[in-house]
Amino acid sequence: MTSIRADRAGRPARLSWRIRLRRDRSLILMTLPAVVLLLVFNYVPLFGLATAFQEYDPLAGVWQSTWAGLYQFERLLSDSLFWGALKNTLWLSFVQLILFFPVPIALALLLNTVLSERIRNFIQSVVYLPHFFSWVLAVTIFQQMLGGAGALNQFLRGNDIGTWDIMTNPDTFALLVTSQVIWKEAGWGIIVFLAALAAINTDLYEAAAADGAGRWRRLWHITLPGLRSVIVLMLVLRLGNALSVGFEQFLIQRNAVGHDTAEVLDTFSFYYGIATGDYSYGAAAGLFKSVISLLLIWGANKLAHAFGEDGLYRK
Amino acid sequence: MGIELNRRNFLSAAVSAAGLVAMGPLLSACGGGGPSRAGVNSESALKAVLPTYVPNTSIKPDIPSIAGGPDVLTDPGFLGYPTNRVATVSGVPGKGGKYSAVTPLWGTIPPADNSFYQAMNKALGVELEMKPADGNNYNTIIPTMTAAKKLPDWINLPGWWNPQFNTGGLVGNQLADLTPYLSGDNVKKYPNLAAIPTAAWRAGAWGDKLYGIPSFSTGFKVAGVVFYRRDVLEAKGITADQVKSADDLMKLGKELTDAKAGVWAFDDVYRYIYTSFGAPLKWKVDNGKLIHVFETSEFLDAADWHRKLALAGYVHPDALAGDNAGSNTRFYAGKTLIGGGGQGAWNLADLQSGQAANPNYRRGAFNFFAADGKSTPRVDMGQSTDIVSYLNINLKPEQIEECLAVANYLAAPFGSAEYTMVNFGVEGTHFTMKDGVPTPTEAGMKEVQAKTYPFLAAPPSVVNNPTGDIVTKDLTAWQAANLKALAKPVFWGMNVSMPQAQATAEAAQPVEDTLKDVIHGKKSIQDLKDAVANWKSSGGGDRLIQWMNDNVLQKFGTGQ
Repeated sequence: MTSIRADRAGRPARLSWRIRLRRDRSLILMTLPAVVLLLVFNYVPLFGLATAFQEYDPLAGVWQSTWAGLYQFERLLSDSLFWGALKNTLWLSFVQLILFFPVPIALALLLNTVLSERIRNFIQSVVYLPHFFSWVLAVTIFQQMLGGAGALNQFLRGNDIGTWDIMTNPDTFALLVTSQVIWKEAGWGIIVFLAALAAINTDLYEAAAADGAGRWRRLWHITLPGLRSVIVLMLVLRLGNALSVGFEQFLIQRNAVGHDTAEVLDTFSFYYGIATGDYSYGAAAGLFKSVISLLLIWGANKLAHAFGEDGLYRK
Repeated sequence: MGIELNRRNFLSAAVSAAGLVAMGPLLSACGGGGPSRAGVNSESALKAVLPTYVPNTSIKPDIPSIAGGPDVLTDPGFLGYPTNRVATVSGVPGKGGKYSAVTPLWGTIPPADNSFYQAMNKALGVELEMKPADGNNYNTIIPTMTAAKKLPDWINLPGWWNPQFNTGGLVGNQLADLTPYLSGDNVKKYPNLAAIPTAAWRAGAWGDKLYGIPSFSTGFKVAGVVFYRRDVLEAKGITADQVKSADDLMKLGKELTDAKAGVWAFDDVYRYIYTSFGAPLKWKVDNGKLIHVFETSEFLDAADWHRKLALAGYVHPDALAGDNAGSNTRFYAGKTLIGGGGQGAWNLADLQSGQAANPNYRRGAFNFFAADGKSTPRVDMGQSTDIVSYLNINLKPEQIEECLAVANYLAAPFGSAEYTMVNFGVEGTHFTMKDGVPTPTEAGMKEVQAKTYPFLAAPPSVVNNPTGDIVTKDLTAWQAANLKALAKPVFWGMNVSMPQAQATAEAAQPVEDTLKDVIHGKKSIQDLKDAVANWKSSGGGDRLIQWMNDNVLQKFGTGQ
């Protein structure tokens, strides 16, 4: 806390907005296209949220549809399928937080210890690659390898060992999807940590080594503290996204394990909103999710600040 | 299939049309019975306006149609491509009018104003600006047009999108009433349109009036077929006529499954087989009482049978994992030997794909059977077509007549000079004859192969697979053998629109989800019963049945 205060005290006096505008003119101009994109694709569509309070009719449009007040939300809260989807989402999110979140960090640390640039580039390319696959492809690969007629089970069958139900077992679904996420996204996730690692002053390591600090001590006292702000930032973002565990991955595998297990809030909105033409209901489910997510991200950010971290922005 | 019930609040359509706020949901329209004004039997009212059927006899098929029950007719078969391309339209149909047309296209959009369009405009005598739109996004493109009331002069609105489009709310407001031009004998002015069977016109009939022009109509429409690998099964001495009951099929599961070799007898077949157990497609009327399929014991029997099939290990694991996209690949590769699909799957392209995997490949279909092996086989027949085009209400009467004359050209029978022009373009430019088969040139591939005009009007379907006559023979023979099983379900071709709440209940997503788990062996029949009970009480099921009874059955009858 003290460091932050000192930091803040050290900031120059606030300039008037006019001066700041003139000073930052070129920077603002450079961000303008991105801001416009954000406005057009992320803010303007927010207008569609109005449908959550309507009996929306796509033919009549938003202006002509009848208003229904909070009716859709009443339906939502009394729908056991919705609560099931929420429960699944939170559970999967929790499992992924525990099992997936540390993986890219560990991978980044490991990769950082590899000295040969060639090997490092090779490993990086290999672990990045799955990120560029679509979920359809990723799940197909899993199905081909581990499915009931996949390579593993055909081998087991051929040797009369008995089969192992991986892809359609509801009980282990959380582990299955998490391992899919690890395979597909862990490599991509290390980029930001590698960047943070690169920013750590190498003098610190040399000094620590000179003082007799071993590999683990250096990791604990230099590397991890150096990564801390990034880890916290990623954690805040992850918590804010706790209700978005993915869509396609579950859409594709929903039939494999059944909707009781694989239904998450996004697939719920899709199946019970869009697919059945009940748009307002889907919009209500989506809005509900967004509000909770906003609260989560706000809470996580507060927590980060309380621990003296930057969180999403410097307080 | 069958009756596509069309969810919708009539209210909003009325609002957009009249700018008035009506109260409460209304039944917007029914072909076979619109909002009846004086309680007349709508079936008779519609019958009075349906166009007269005058079959075209100028081109004889190699395998003629066979008529079954009312409105049931097998598709005629053509071996090769007719050599004598007779002309059915004399002169140029148009008078130089200018029109715009929008159709869905599943494929690459051809370049605008291309040589094929120009040739067609010349042949049609109109300036018809074709604007094909991506079929996969069609249902998002059209609502913006209807909301702005900016529909083109001529538009295709596929029947399976009725739920999104509320076509019943558009007719008479944005789409022109064609009754005065086509009803009864009036249609004879357009002989090629008159050659479209009467039943097909129901697909575009709303509120006892004719609005739509049907394309690709058929008198043999079924929800699905149970296919099998004829080459493989016959090699094992199994023929289709040996399968006469659900038990027979189950036995095949045991006989054909060889998991070690990676062969499973079945893909997912529930959807193609549940009516064999006596369950209706969706509705049935028993002693005057309206019954939904979920309420029937036959529905549970069918689910239980498929559940046992899955639990016995006769269904391919990938199918149980919900991978439907790969079902064709499995079938071609011989990893599954029995699977379901639409009749459309049985064509030349299928033969070629199958033969690429196995030169002996031959698709066959089981005959419709009754699950118990004793009752008379019966299958609910679907609406004649889902592809229907409409004209804009702003067109003047003489413009409508001009468009209908163009439609008459487009609907010229298979193999005629006009049909060849519409489907293959100009000989020499867009196609050349190779071994008696019109074969597209490079220009033809680009400009003609993507089907556009047939989505405005087309003759009744025929079976034709040049270079793959075996498919034509097999398919027509199968249709002929199963002709007697086809029967009209209740509300056949009635085009019902319903309010949102009922439409949501009609989709019954929670029951469908549970059903999937049950037929894949993951849940019990009791779970399905619970899901149905829950759907009836809190999912709007009971209210849906009540609504259908009060607003359709009691007012307009069963449509039979």
